[in-house]
Amino acid sequence: MTSQLQDRRDPDTEAGHGHPERRSRTRQFAWLAVGLVGITALFVVRAITAEQSGLSLPGQAQDFLTLSISVIVESMPFVILGIVLSIAVQVWVPDTWIMRVLPKNPFLRRAAISFIGVFLPVCECGNVPLARGLMVKGFTVSESMTFLLAAPIINPITIITTHQAFGWDNGILVGRIVGGFVIANLIGWLFSRHPDQDSLLTDRFAAECRVPENHGHGDSRWQQSVALFRRESSVILPALFIGAVAAGAIQSLVPRQVLVSLGSNPLWSILAMMVLAFVISVCSNVDAFFILPFASTFMPGSIVTFLVFGPIIDIKMLALLRTTFTVRTLVQLTAVVALLAALVGLVVNYVA
Amino acid sequence: MQRWRGVVLMTVVVVATVWLALTNQLILYIHPRYVVFTVIMAAVGLVFVVASAFLREPHDHDEPPTRWQNTLSVTAAALSLAIAVGIIVVPPATLSSATLDQRAMNATGLSEGQGQTVGQAATTSDAAFARFTVLDWSSLLRQSSELSLYEGKPVDVVGFVSADPDDPQNMFYVSRFIITCCAVDAQPVGVPVYSPDWQQTLEIDDWVRVTGGFDANPSEQSTESIALLPDETTVVEQPGEPYLY
Repeated sequence: MTSQLQDRRDPDTEAGHGHPERRSRTRQFAWLAVGLVGITALFVVRAITAEQSGLSLPGQAQDFLTLSISVIVESMPFVILGIVLSIAVQVWVPDTWIMRVLPKNPFLRRAAISFIGVFLPVCECGNVPLARGLMVKGFTVSESMTFLLAAPIINPITIITTHQAFGWDNGILVGRIVGGFVIANLIGWLFSRHPDQDSLLTDRFAAECRVPENHGHGDSRWQQSVALFRRESSVILPALFIGAVAAGAIQSLVPRQVLVSLGSNPLWSILAMMVLAFVISVCSNVDAFFILPFASTFMPGSIVTFLVFGPIIDIKMLALLRTTFTVRTLVQLTAVVALLAALVGLVVNYVA
Repeated sequence: MQRWRGVVLMTVVVVATVWLALTNQLILYIHPRYVVFTVIMAAVGLVFVVASAFLREPHDHDEPPTRWQNTLSVTAAALSLAIAVGIIVVPPATLSSATLDQRAMNATGLSEGQGQTVGQAATTSDAAFARFTVLDWSSLLRQSSELSLYEGKPVDVVGFVSADPDDPQNMFYVSRFIITCCAVDAQPVGVPVYSPDWQQTLEIDDWVRVTGGFDANPSEQSTESIALLPDETTVVEQPGEPYLY
């Protein structure tokens, strides 16, 4: 009720419903000015405060901030790319096109979906808005999960960087690709057995998926795109910030040596690698470079576990996924993926 | 306001990113190879921010949140806002010895192409040795503790000061972080320096330039068998590229 009242009072609502065009034009330019002034003000504040050494924080707090900012700055381009692709899928690609080109058989369909990442080389943080877009467009929950899990691993950038780091040694590259594919499809199949797919999603996102296709009320595509940008960034960015803060805090509090000392035992090293992947929250496109220095101390299967588990489950990703899936779903997902990733690692350890 | 929090956060990050890139400080947070990509996407983000101020949608599709969701999202918003203020207001900084203490010095191996190998060092000239970085020396020290390899070689390195935990009285490290992707994966490397009572003239996190030569480490508590015996230690400005790659 209150929100209706607010809507009535919101001058924009009136403008949208056919008030004189000139007035709404003026208002548009006024808001444009507000935006530009705001951006300029931020630049000015940033430039001035950079000189004030009095604003620096003491050692550990400063490092915590530096680490958190580093996660945010590193993920942000991928998040923007993901939102742009999500807008493209939802607003600009014809409705039926994506659905038509995919096979009908559910197993083949999920297998095909696993390879979408080949054409959309976004790392995992960008995949969340894209997967949301695909669900709004008609993907089932289990299909979008398959995409979400497979795309960060089966994509050209990840494959190239992993190859650069490890070559064909010890089956690490093959283990990663095959492991990622198998886990994504197993998870997709598992969740497709769930009788009520909507109950896997947060209420808010499920409602968004149910909004009828023509909810734009005749807005131009540009207006829809911008609206989508505002909505997606409102959901994704706070989650990214919180994920980054959590990752930064743990990084500046927990000695990494604790993990590394668990070293070379076949089972413990796999667990240590999963904890490391969970904590470090580094992008799938570059995690191979990150883990390379550990290759001499850890067994190859443990490296594969890191490379398969990390892109799917880590602190930052759970915060991002929480925008879309219920806690219950995420707990199940984490448990199953952890078991499967450990299994893949054990198999590689045994074979290699 | 709720509906604009994403755009506000995006603006903060994008502005900060562009400013850092302009002042050549983006490398405090990410590896140089990502700078171009990051700046391009930041520009795209900026275009969307401006466009969303210009094309404000006339309808509000957001459902009114429940009370529980509201509390949660207010907490989240407050936390994100605090970080956003930090991004804009706190001067950018490199990682310090506080993080170094969390990550053991010279603990992890290096990937191919990083640092030096003993084989290469055999044919290196003195002039080249003088240009060796902390990373080069620490990678050699990891591979070999053969004193003959280091004797008589000129050393000239720049890094920040961190104490040797085993003998903080007499030993410090000239340290640097090496980065493979972003500051999150920074790993400390360092050259051990034997300098009794160094704390009287130097402070932890000071940037220093140390010249001298390697010799057997006189310290009894330290685990390092070889240490740099300084001819001269001068405090210097933090270099423009504080990390090594």
